[in-house]
Amino acid sequence: MPTADVVVIGAGLSGLSCAAELAERGARVFLAAKGMASTHWTHGGLDVAAPDGAATPRAGARALAARDGHPYAIVQGDLEAAVTAHGGRMRAGGIGLVGSLDTPLVEIPTAIGALRPAALLPDAQAGAREPWGNDGLLLVGIDRYRDAWAPYAARNLAASGWPDGPRDVRAVTVRLDGLDRLRNLNARSLAHLFDDPAWRSRALRAIAAAVPPGTWRIGLPAVLGITTHRQVLADARAALGPSVFESPSLPPSVPGMRLFDVLREAILARGGRVQVGFDVVDVERDDGRIVAIHTEAASRTLRLAADRFVLATGGIGGEGIRAGADGRLDERVFGLAVSAPQRDAWFSDDPLVPHPLEAAGIRTDDELRPLDPSGALALDNVHVIGSALAGMHYLAERCGDGVALASAHRVAAALAAARIAA
Amino acid sequence: MRAPAEVDVVVIGGGATGAGVLRDLAMRGLRATLIERGDFASGTSGRYHGLLHSGARYVESDPISARHCIEENAVLRRIAPGTIEPTGGYFVATPDDPDDYLERFQAACAAAGIDAEPMGLDALFRAEPLLNRQIRAAYRVPDAALEPWELVDANLASAREHGATAHRYRPVVGFERGADGGITAVHTQDARSGEGETIACRAVISAAGAWAGTVAALAGATLHMSPGKGSMLILNRRMTSAVVNRLAPPGDGDILVPVHTVCILGTTDITIEDPDDARVTRDEVEALLADGERLVPGLSGARVLRAYSGSRPLYDAAELDGQAHHDESREISRAHHVIDHGARDGVHGLWSIVGGKLTTYRLMARDVVDAVARALEVTAPCRTADEVLPEPAGHSPYWLGDRLAALEAEGGGDADLICECELVSRGRLSAALDQRADSSLDDLRRTTRLGMGPCQGAFCIPRAAAMLDERRADGRLDATAPDANEALRSFAAERFRGTRPIAWGDQLTELWLAAGTFRGTLAAESLPARSGAADADR
Repeated sequence: MPTADVVVIGAGLSGLSCAAELAERGARVFLAAKGMASTHWTHGGLDVAAPDGAATPRAGARALAARDGHPYAIVQGDLEAAVTAHGGRMRAGGIGLVGSLDTPLVEIPTAIGALRPAALLPDAQAGAREPWGNDGLLLVGIDRYRDAWAPYAARNLAASGWPDGPRDVRAVTVRLDGLDRLRNLNARSLAHLFDDPAWRSRALRAIAAAVPPGTWRIGLPAVLGITTHRQVLADARAALGPSVFESPSLPPSVPGMRLFDVLREAILARGGRVQVGFDVVDVERDDGRIVAIHTEAASRTLRLAADRFVLATGGIGGEGIRAGADGRLDERVFGLAVSAPQRDAWFSDDPLVPHPLEAAGIRTDDELRPLDPSGALALDNVHVIGSALAGMHYLAERCGDGVALASAHRVAAALAAARIAA
Repeated sequence: MRAPAEVDVVVIGGGATGAGVLRDLAMRGLRATLIERGDFASGTSGRYHGLLHSGARYVESDPISARHCIEENAVLRRIAPGTIEPTGGYFVATPDDPDDYLERFQAACAAAGIDAEPMGLDALFRAEPLLNRQIRAAYRVPDAALEPWELVDANLASAREHGATAHRYRPVVGFERGADGGITAVHTQDARSGEGETIACRAVISAAGAWAGTVAALAGATLHMSPGKGSMLILNRRMTSAVVNRLAPPGDGDILVPVHTVCILGTTDITIEDPDDARVTRDEVEALLADGERLVPGLSGARVLRAYSGSRPLYDAAELDGQAHHDESREISRAHHVIDHGARDGVHGLWSIVGGKLTTYRLMARDVVDAVARALEVTAPCRTADEVLPEPAGHSPYWLGDRLAALEAEGGGDADLICECELVSRGRLSAALDQRADSSLDDLRRTTRLGMGPCQGAFCIPRAAAMLDERRADGRLDATAPDANEALRSFAAERFRGTRPIAWGDQLTELWLAAGTFRGTLAAESLPARSGAADADR
């Protein structure tokens, strides 16, 4: 008796979205993951495609689709529906998604005061890309919080020649109630404080009192609540202006945690199951097909049998692909062939430029089923989505989230259609 | 151009030897100043395995060096106890090690005055359970772990107490020579501001180690160094409590030194032309791991945090005797040599101190200062073995618990940790910057261990850069200090250089996490060249 119609492995943006969509389309889905993934260590915005020179995410994805072996060559057509569905899921969970594939990419400030291109953002971050008009930017740091660097960021932004940026950038650092007694002070603990209405009201008053005269748009660390984010954001807007925005910093990412929570709820609400914290320890195969995977569990291993398996375990960063000391790259769950450059050509000399190894991943057919090195189908009932796919430079091209959503959508829609047909 | 300074002796090179020379000179009442081209202890001294030798490693191949090591081992335990973790050490015979060496080892140790005590295998495996169970003999020797940065710091502090001065980022660019060919002054240039300075002097001691050939050439003397690149790997935990050496003639991957919370596997030995050629190759990494497996089976599956290399200041003394050079770096003696370039090259007033080990730095300093003092007709004897060095900043650098206790005493908890891996607090970094306001992030690493843990700077680099920038804006940074953005980029590049040769497994994943943060979230690649704070003070 199969555990589910589809087992999804991996709890990053692609795995969660794929499982949510499968559940929404009526499939019985089980998501298994060894741990929290990309959501918790990325900025929580939506990097769809922003290669150099692209004016919009749609234009960016089109440019990337033309690159040899890029995942968008297969999934570009799924992007529109995928982003729409994602926006719906976010809204249902209390997080607005602002922008579309045709929204112009503009430069927004990062936590150290560099600039990155963005078009689609959760509403808490969207104030950063509204036209500046006559607004100045006031970056607010929090005393003792080590991951917000408002003065440093403000000085960098002032030196950066920000195109169409604000008339002035300044920084203030505010002291918030009780933080001097808090030993463990990070983005997550601050977000929990913001979830407390009484504390929040004092904090927002303290921040408002620190705003100098004039028209200022306020940038805060990305800590505006987790469990009651919608209310926290509404209160922050009432106290600090409608365009107040959050600026994400070092992990753990509070915007990413919200994203994770919303998608997990979306899966559970449609009867799907989610098990995070246990690795795949064994795989049952039969004649080019996967029959079941076994995961660790609290007291025994758990056998998860299904018709289809979706591999959403990520690339090297997500540990879906692991390198050995000998330079060999292994896909950890099914042992799929990994397409990668030669060991000696893995890295660029400068850590801040793209490394050829970043494009390593699994090559697939148009149904995103894995191929072996000769180009033949490796497994018939496995589909690969997200950062496990070969051929993209997700950091330089800022395309990781778009590829995750589009590939998840492509697989979920096809599997759901096949299930109905069957 | 600054006003000309005048001293008796200029010391070139701010590693352990130069710092030891400066201290010795100052304690004998000589006016002395030290110039170093980079940061103190940023050359070979800061890039070694952290082992205070008992001498047993060289007991057969290099008995003079072995004797020097054991004598100085005892001296350093007396004068610099705060920089030493008395781990003890073992020499172990694995099945691959030669029987005849094992048979000769103990007698050779006895002849050199090294206490090598046979150790029962049961006791050995109880003390060091991860060691290879095929090990068939073991001796206990007085090896230990030694913290090089603290040792250099302590020597400089003591030298300053005795009236000497020391300057970093001040490379020598030329010499002035009098009518008799003797050196009368040293020209230096501030590496950061570009400002030149002339230091008039009666003598110069080159303690430039592997770079001594370049310094000698600047003065018109000839000195052929044979730098030996030694590469090492940092493993992410202490696999043994004591230093472990293989009972065999020195080779690759045959020393494991527990240092702080990690251990260091060393060391390759490759003759190189340019001592700045510090790249670790994949072949070296593979050789180290393969040999390390013989000491600790499974070692190559452990997480390697970093690879680095240092350039041994080897000098082929065959040159002195007119003999042919040795082909292999390992055949060259580790003993030191004092070279009087007046007698040899007609460049009077210049001495080079070459060869030697970090363990023997004080003896090297004594010998060269003896020679210089004689020439300057100074009769005060060497007293560096009699006076205890200043304690490193009131704490034991070795015990993580000390840093934790200090953090808790500050009351900060995690909130004040800038570097979580190495427990470096905001207060500790501030104190280091108060002391040296011209520090880069890499300089701060040498003083505080910033960025030396598993994440190799992924979290602490932006935090520390923001602190530098804050100080720049407040006017609390030296104008010559690197700007925060330059510091961020160069430290990220420096940490990456050490990760790249060992980037696989968890450490490659860690590198990708750092890349995701730096480039994905922070877009550090698009930072302006310099922050607004730096431009404001120009």
